[in-house]
Amino acid sequence: MAAVDRYQYLLLMAGCLIVTLPLEMFGARVWRQPRRLLFALVPTVIVFAVWDIAAIAREHWSYNPRYVTGSRLPGNLPVEELTFFVVIPICGLLTLEAVRRILERAR
Amino acid sequence: MWQYTAAAVVGVVAVVLLEVRILRTGLLRTRAYWIALSICYAFMIAVNGWLTKLTAPIVLYDADATTGWRVPWDIPVEDYLFGFALLTLAMLLWDAAAPRSRDVAGTASTEAAVPSLPAESARGTRS
Repeated sequence: MAAVDRYQYLLLMAGCLIVTLPLEMFGARVWRQPRRLLFALVPTVIVFAVWDIAAIAREHWSYNPRYVTGSRLPGNLPVEELTFFVVIPICGLLTLEAVRRILERAR
Repeated sequence: MWQYTAAAVVGVVAVVLLEVRILRTGLLRTRAYWIALSICYAFMIAVNGWLTKLTAPIVLYDADATTGWRVPWDIPVEDYLFGFALLTLAMLLWDAAAPRSRDVAGTASTEAAVPSLPAESARGTRS
């Protein structure tokens, strides 16, 4: 049980990707524009990783060792956090584009 | 004290200023954006709630860094500002890189071209 618990955060992120994947099939076209996606993601990930590293250093927040893998990137950033900054914007972009398709079709 | 609160407010202001002063995508004036943001917030309550619930928290907050307001299910109110900044920044950059800026009327600025080209605009409906 404890072994699975350490992947809770990562599994939650995987769940977010799986739940939003049908939006791409619905016509969101986010995954199918990889260069545009990278243009949106790279600066976002950098800005929020820097914020996160600063917040961790200042002890604004910390991570429960029970639910994370323990793998840390430079700046003491948990790999789960980097995953979060990639996954959540993708979910947001898929939602935005799906809403646009719906509004276009409603016109 | 309230350092995360302050940082989250600065994050929101910075993203809005980036749009108003530099990117000028018009995203914040589209209905699609606000509908999408509302949907994201609904799912955020589930995901964030799972990460921050005090019964088995994955992320632990320093009491001094936040206001201590946590609604619902122990989500610090600061996280909504953080989420706004994260989602909006990615969406603004996504729109700034939209192929439409080259499609629309060849040369004219997108600002001017929007009213005359309602059909093929890749962006969401305005207002």
